[in-house]
Amino acid sequence: MRLILLDSPKEIRGNFYPIALSHPLWELRCGFTSLGEKLIDKVGANDVAYFVADYMADSYRAKVQQPVNDSSILDGDDMLVVDPRVKAENFDVAAKGPSEVGLDEQGSLLYARITKDDLTRLPTDEIGRFITEAKEKLPNVRSALPTWRYIWDLILANAEQLTADFTAVGQHGIEGTVEQPNAIRGSKKDVYIAPGAMVHPMVVIDAEQGPVYIDQDAEIQPFTRIEGPCYIGKKAILLGTKCREGNSIGPFCRVGGELEESIIQGYSNKYHDGFLGHAYVGEWVNLGALTTNSDLKNDYSTVSVMLDGRRAIDTGLVKVGSLIGDHVKTSIGTLLNTGSYVGPMALIMGTGKPLPKFIPAFAWFIEGVVTKGFGKGKLYETAKMAMGRRDCQWTETEQSMWDAVFDMTAPMRNQAIKKGRRAMLTR
Amino acid sequence: MATVEERVKAVTAQVLKLTPDEIKLEDSFTADLGAESVQSIELVAMFEEEFGIEMDEDAALSVETVGKAIEFIAEVCKEQGVDVEQ
Repeated sequence: MRLILLDSPKEIRGNFYPIALSHPLWELRCGFTSLGEKLIDKVGANDVAYFVADYMADSYRAKVQQPVNDSSILDGDDMLVVDPRVKAENFDVAAKGPSEVGLDEQGSLLYARITKDDLTRLPTDEIGRFITEAKEKLPNVRSALPTWRYIWDLILANAEQLTADFTAVGQHGIEGTVEQPNAIRGSKKDVYIAPGAMVHPMVVIDAEQGPVYIDQDAEIQPFTRIEGPCYIGKKAILLGTKCREGNSIGPFCRVGGELEESIIQGYSNKYHDGFLGHAYVGEWVNLGALTTNSDLKNDYSTVSVMLDGRRAIDTGLVKVGSLIGDHVKTSIGTLLNTGSYVGPMALIMGTGKPLPKFIPAFAWFIEGVVTKGFGKGKLYETAKMAMGRRDCQWTETEQSMWDAVFDMTAPMRNQAIKKGRRAMLTR
Repeated sequence: MATVEERVKAVTAQVLKLTPDEIKLEDSFTADLGAESVQSIELVAMFEEEFGIEMDEDAALSVETVGKAIEFIAEVCKEQGVDVEQ
């Protein structure tokens, strides 16, 4: 049986911006792992293929070993096609069985189980036609499978997911190095320190309220306090961090200051002091010293977020921090308002005041307004340099993907630039 | 209508807090007029607004002197069909 992860349509992916502008939905994290890893584990598939938005196909193909947007894999074996917004923990569709197409209330595909025999009735030259005809020719069922609806759902679920993942992984104990003096509060059964991980002296690991998992080759520097539930990814470094409960820190991150109930995708830096709470941070982000986000309004009312720069969505949640796309750079002292959206590649020069709640992708936010700045070429140069520092390569295919993101996000950026020009003219 | 030179000097003076008389064609925006990188960005934005044109950021920001800016803007106006007084 082959598992095909088919990325959600654009209008759904938009609910997971800014991260989903440059990643398929299944790459988003919750708990220890990505949504895709959870689905693959749940299904038990060892043969996986991906279909992503066309503009990110070449770039994604370079990242993974499995087939990407390869229609030839639509032929052959029994298959299960799954939309990544389906929650893995609730995915109870048997891998084997008669063909059926599971649709949500709006008629969007959540999954399709297709037998080898039925594959012969479907066109296999293009995934869109393949799905359309599968919906027409195969039995449809109304599925009530729970789904992720918005990016902040992942933040909200993270603490619980961390605890569930710790139980599922089933590891505990110290296989890495823990230098004394040190303190572990709570049960040692709720702590796992992987081989190669190094915990310096004067670190407190508090597992009383939830488990703590420190992955391979991570380094926890002195005066760090880690509250569970928490996952610290491979080769991540914590630098005297006040790591409050409910954080997932992806691989190769460097994190200092205070962090609470947040997800950092990976390869990002928040080296210095400053608070980040209920936030989702993409890859290759650098948050300057004292960058701080609000995650709670003064009147304790629910937080609204603008994912498209036009329409505010009431999250219904009292705590939502910032959503920060890949390659964002913030200056020292940047203040992010409650429920802020910072599009990928944006460069922020803080003014001492809270930023507008929507900063478009590729924006140069300078002197309190969105400008064209030095253009995308300079942002690419910075991205290339940042990646090179971690022995990662900025490739032509990646640049092509970002060019597409630049074009897709132009309307909102141009509107913000016009607004900025008006502000400049009245100074 | 004011010439391109007069308009470029007026915008430069406004952004850099100078008087137009202080600005010479051979002046470098950074070395002579003291423009910092942030002000360079503002200058490009204000030139676009003044002339109703779109400039390539890399090309615009590589212009060093006031005289070269006048030439560059006149050329962009011509390319984009914007009438200006030479």
